[in-house]
Amino acid sequence: MFRNIWLKELKEQLYTWKGTLWLVISSLTFSLISYLLLTDKELSLLDQTEMMWMLAKVIISIGLLIVSIDASSIISNEFEKETAESLFLSPIKMKDFVSGKLLASLTLWLLIFIVSIPYILVTSAGTKLFFPFFYYVFLLGSLGVFGFIMLIFAISLLFRSSKNTLTTSLVVLLALFIPSLFSTTLKNNSFALALGKVNPVDNIFSSLDNVLVDYQTSLFHNGQFILPLALFCLITLMFLVYATKRFKQAGVVKNG
Amino acid sequence: MDDIKRLLMLGVLGSLLILSMAYAYAENQTINQPLTLRILSEKTLSGTAGDFATVKAQINNSGLQPLNDITTYISLVDESNKMPVDLEDWSAEKGLFIGTIDAGQALPLNWKIHFVKAGKYSLIIVAEITGQEIPQVSGIVHFTVNSKRNLNPGQVLPVALGTPIVVLFIMLLLNYKRNSSKSS
Repeated sequence: MFRNIWLKELKEQLYTWKGTLWLVISSLTFSLISYLLLTDKELSLLDQTEMMWMLAKVIISIGLLIVSIDASSIISNEFEKETAESLFLSPIKMKDFVSGKLLASLTLWLLIFIVSIPYILVTSAGTKLFFPFFYYVFLLGSLGVFGFIMLIFAISLLFRSSKNTLTTSLVVLLALFIPSLFSTTLKNNSFALALGKVNPVDNIFSSLDNVLVDYQTSLFHNGQFILPLALFCLITLMFLVYATKRFKQAGVVKNG
Repeated sequence: MDDIKRLLMLGVLGSLLILSMAYAYAENQTINQPLTLRILSEKTLSGTAGDFATVKAQINNSGLQPLNDITTYISLVDESNKMPVDLEDWSAEKGLFIGTIDAGQALPLNWKIHFVKAGKYSLIIVAEITGQEIPQVSGIVHFTVNSKRNLNPGQVLPVALGTPIVVLFIMLLLNYKRNSSKSS
């Protein structure tokens, strides 16, 4: 059943201007960044691995932002357009409903990633880092996006309003992005270090730094960053399960 | 007057004695240091910015006693700026720790370094032995990192222009397909 919901969402995304416009915007942003990095005289003096690191951060950041915006409305819209009632009158399980929507949001990330492949290829030309670059952007981006989608879906099921879900999701995303903008010196105290260990965005960027700048490409060397990301996904999954139970208790038409 | 001369003579003799003692102590420290460090890859170190190279060195204990707790690290100086280089991006492993090196034993030391910026550099390896005041250093190795310009509009321009056009084309195609299926 979740397959039907996934295909329905996919059609809605691909056959509307709104859905595909995100891909054009992503592509234009990647074009601008990669063109500037590779042709600007000042920027071109940067080490190539550093350029790849910058582009990797841009790809994952754009992916997280676009998927967060999309995921904020994908469930809430069913309540706002009053289609939720008729949807839940059909023999559909809550698990299938959420899984279908989750798969649709993950597909959007997959499409953004596919659009980014030519840029990954051109930026890593001449280095031996194409495969680590490709593999880690996909792995870290997918883990981050997966965790964020579940968090946003849980908020959606609790709030049932796309405006509130979008605002909360963007605030959470921004709050997690801010520490990653701090300089290394600011991150040296124990509180900042502890915060960095649990912050999924920090873990993604640190792992990319480890792979592309420090050349530590094995999964073993990146376990310290991937494990907290997996833990983040597990926590958000638990939060989603809790939100689903609360939603079922309250009913499709919320009382009070 | 004689007292002053005597006092001066005594002062000179005393200074000479102190100087010779200090020299003997310093010489003793150097001669008795059984640890030697040698950089083996001095010929292969030059390259282009962005390249990775391995600094191969050897630590040798020529003494009669084993030595414990030795920390070895590389130190890099930018000769153009006369400044030491921050190794954060140059090497993932800054220091190598040796628990014990037996008498007469020689151990290899390898550092993978990443040439980040073009310029002329000098490199030394330092070994600190716990409990000893004076560290042991290798000889200086000079090397050059050539600049690399990543100006490649020939490669990036087709991708930067082509990808958004292809995505836009797919978007228009899907839109056309949707409209034609609606009208039929």
